[in-house]
Amino acid sequence: MNTFAVIARREMKLALSNRSVLITAFIFSIWFPVMSTLGIAVSAEGDAMTVTAGIATITLPVAIFLGYIFCADAFLREKRDGTIETLLCTPVSLQRLWEGKVAGITVPAYGMMLLSVAVSAAAVSNFTGVSIITEPLFLVHLVFVVPVWIAAAAGLIGAAQFALGMRENQILGFVFIFGFFFIIFTLQSITPGGSSLSTTVEGVLAVAGLLLLALARFIAGRVTRERIVRTIP
Amino acid sequence: MNAVEVRDLSRSFDGRDILRDVSFTVGHGEIFGYLGPNGAGKTTTIRILLGLLAPGAGEVRVLGRDLAADDDARARVGVLFENNGLADRMSAADNLAYYAGLYGVDDPGERIDDLLALVDLTDRRDEKVGTFSTGMKRKLGIARAILHRPEVVFLDEPSSGLDPGAQRMVRDLILELSRREEMTVFLNSHHLDEVQRICSTVAILAGGRIRAFDSVANLTNASGRPVVTITLAGPGERSRAHDIAAELPYVMACEMEGGSLHCTLADPGTTPDLVTALVGAGFRIEEVRRSSRSLEEIYLEHVGQTEGGA
Repeated sequence: MNTFAVIARREMKLALSNRSVLITAFIFSIWFPVMSTLGIAVSAEGDAMTVTAGIATITLPVAIFLGYIFCADAFLREKRDGTIETLLCTPVSLQRLWEGKVAGITVPAYGMMLLSVAVSAAAVSNFTGVSIITEPLFLVHLVFVVPVWIAAAAGLIGAAQFALGMRENQILGFVFIFGFFFIIFTLQSITPGGSSLSTTVEGVLAVAGLLLLALARFIAGRVTRERIVRTIP
Repeated sequence: MNAVEVRDLSRSFDGRDILRDVSFTVGHGEIFGYLGPNGAGKTTTIRILLGLLAPGAGEVRVLGRDLAADDDARARVGVLFENNGLADRMSAADNLAYYAGLYGVDDPGERIDDLLALVDLTDRRDEKVGTFSTGMKRKLGIARAILHRPEVVFLDEPSSGLDPGAQRMVRDLILELSRREEMTVFLNSHHLDEVQRICSTVAILAGGRIRAFDSVANLTNASGRPVVTITLAGPGERSRAHDIAAELPYVMACEMEGGSLHCTLADPGTTPDLVTALVGAGFRIEEVRRSSRSLEEIYLEHVGQTEGGA
């Protein structure tokens, strides 16, 4: 097994064994989307397409927040308790370490996201009778755009957590989240048909997500071992 | 080629000198003790050797390589920092399996079983590390550090925070590992008793400089104190024994105290000659003991000088 898979598998295992992170992620990924989707369903007066587009819109902020929650365990905790110092002494490059961690975070966060969509759809169907349309664009959104944004959020926040001190990380964590929210809503507002499901919107979101992921990888590649060690508390 | 080479190493943080012209070497297979008070720069030296920090000036080599730029060389080195590098929510076996994957250990299952048996944790192999005592975590941390059969292992304060029983356990484990795995051990510690018991060579770091660097035997047999104590059997003519010893050219000083003769020798290697001379003069000898200074005395002498003068 290559080191990428070794790291990713371990991060997944740790993420799925952290009860407090799972509870926080579960509450956030169920409560907020279900309530929002029900609100959209009521105001859309049973228009299935509008409800589907609404769910698609909600998934990205939820995905970003899930990435942030899982990052705290994978990046910040290991820095706080000093485990990262031992990992930096292994024959694994820092970039490979970052890649494995991001992949290991993305999988459980994505699983939680799919659960969130399923519960939201079931709740809407149960309370309003509106069925979510499983049209191809919605599936593309779920299968491609959402995981890319989770990875981009986890990657950028993780790289920042590697590079910054504890106090800066406490402050900048939320700055990053709101930065991501701002990017999403800006893209949706400047793209024609931004609040609906369209090829253009999904294309723009996918490209933007990939660019952010590439930026995160670039930044992770520029962080030095010295920078990480000197910001360990 | 030495296992570890440090030449004229200096490093400062925020304008404060932490290390100044530090130089020493560690030979292959040695257990090397790196001593110094808290904040002396011991951990900084280890971090520079491991490639985690860049040297400000000077040069460091581990196995002839610069670990900062050489992933392959890092695979030949093991390290134990204070936190053990273990995940509390994973079992002992899973923690070791993770590092085995990172280092590409062949046949990891067998190696993990071997090491868990060595550190007496076979029964706890599937229990989460978070349930372990500090001593058990440290033992598992040592097993993790040597999992990939490194040629050099750096142990940063391995006994820190342990009770005396656990300290002894860790000490015995280091000796056993050094013997069994034939590795060079770089022991960063301020437990002087521990260092004196297991290290062959030591360097004392204080005020950012190396104050002493020698074998433990040479340091503790330094001149200025009686080197050999000879206890004579039976009453005999003790003053004559004193006179005979005092006339020998390699005896620098001699003193009779009760039934024991304390002699300071020019060279510790002349002890058999002294014994032969006394036996030849008809004296019966009950015990010959080489006295020496403790490492603690030597350490305090060097560290005290620094704290008083630097």
